[in-house]
Amino acid sequence: MRILVTTGMVLLNFILQTTLFQYLAIQGIFPNTALVIVVSYALLRGSKEGCIAGICTGLLFDIFFATAKGFYVLLFLGISYFTGKGQKNFYRENYLLPIIFCTMAAGIFEFSHFFAELLLRKDGNLLFFLFKIFLPTIVYTAVVTVPIYRILFGINEWLELKEKYKYHLF
Amino acid sequence: MIQFWEEHKKKIIAVFAILITAVALFAGGKNLNASALESVIGFVVTPFQDITTGIGSWVESTGKSAKDKSVLLEENAQLKEELAKLQDETKRLAQYEKENETLSALLKISQKYPEYKSTGTKIIAKNPGVWYNTFTIDKGTGDEVSANMILISSGGVVGKILESGHGYSKAQSILDSRSAVPAMSLRTGDLGVVKGDYTLMNNGLCKMEYIDAEAQIAVGDEIVTSQLSEIYPEGLSIGKVTKIETDGNGLTKYAVIEPFVDLKHLGTLLVIDKNTTEASP
Repeated sequence: MRILVTTGMVLLNFILQTTLFQYLAIQGIFPNTALVIVVSYALLRGSKEGCIAGICTGLLFDIFFATAKGFYVLLFLGISYFTGKGQKNFYRENYLLPIIFCTMAAGIFEFSHFFAELLLRKDGNLLFFLFKIFLPTIVYTAVVTVPIYRILFGINEWLELKEKYKYHLF
Repeated sequence: MIQFWEEHKKKIIAVFAILITAVALFAGGKNLNASALESVIGFVVTPFQDITTGIGSWVESTGKSAKDKSVLLEENAQLKEELAKLQDETKRLAQYEKENETLSALLKISQKYPEYKSTGTKIIAKNPGVWYNTFTIDKGTGDEVSANMILISSGGVVGKILESGHGYSKAQSILDSRSAVPAMSLRTGDLGVVKGDYTLMNNGLCKMEYIDAEAQIAVGDEIVTSQLSEIYPEGLSIGKVTKIETDGNGLTKYAVIEPFVDLKHLGTLLVIDKNTTEASP
């Protein structure tokens, strides 16, 4: 059940993000909702399941948009692994921590792109990056995190309830 | 008391049931006029009954009219459906008209490059984010579209195909910072490489690099693909120069190119295969 719901969620988000969400972009900037979902999932379920969700999402991105396989997988994997490590130490009901983690993850995500550009193509424009990409993305991500985290939290709660009953019965 | 009830529950219920049936049996057969008590009760009760039956009949009659109404409503709904169908049809026809126009425009450009076989296609998904400009189109190896074919639109080059699946292909536009297209200025013949740049990408612009410092290239020149590329066929128009600047080392210049195609709002595209040389598209 959980596998089904999670796969559905990742796929649905991927489909929406690559088609409809593009219309919501402000000056070409729209937060990476896939990243928000992966980070929230890792925070809710721990690093192991977070990593699985991260790998699946990264693979989707790699398959459909990257020139070389592996970049997005590694990026999502790393981010979900390290956010999942912090899962035991906080209250899920609190919104502040997911927001902080998601903005940090978005920052790392954008910065790694920038670093790859700088390293591979000597194409770095730090000021442009900071003011036109980095800051808007972070702010927008923080705004978008709240509803997404709320939805994921509700789904997770529902699934955990179901799983609890299942274990009681058998 | 409760204990007593609990003990003899069944018996008590049975006795009551027998009593009631007995009374009913004995009383049912008699056909007498109403007694005084009965008439008093009747005097009190009947007006209310009258009212309630009035209400009942009213409800019934309105129900009947409601039934008529439902028939009418059904008919209305049917008519509305028909109307919607017709409206839909007219809309579709209008869309066909529009599509016809765009397709005939595309046909014209395919006639501009008549030697290549072409396939029409549509964009189905775009890479989210600001760094790269890759997208997915709805034609794949099943439609004889494969990697390293060129995408054009009415106006000029859009990009190339990176990878093809059966029913989809991954494509890269010329604005992507990983893309490089050997190009030249049509007027002066100066060579260069059109590259994407993420700082210009969101404005729909790209850069032409490695132009000789002595080159006579000027603002407004048309840039076309050069013969140096293995992937891009020669002579496809890319865009025009909007700005020229000298690089930091002073040996080369770069130009900012505005593509002829509005790469931010792409509709129908054309895939051309430079290895096939068919006369008609």
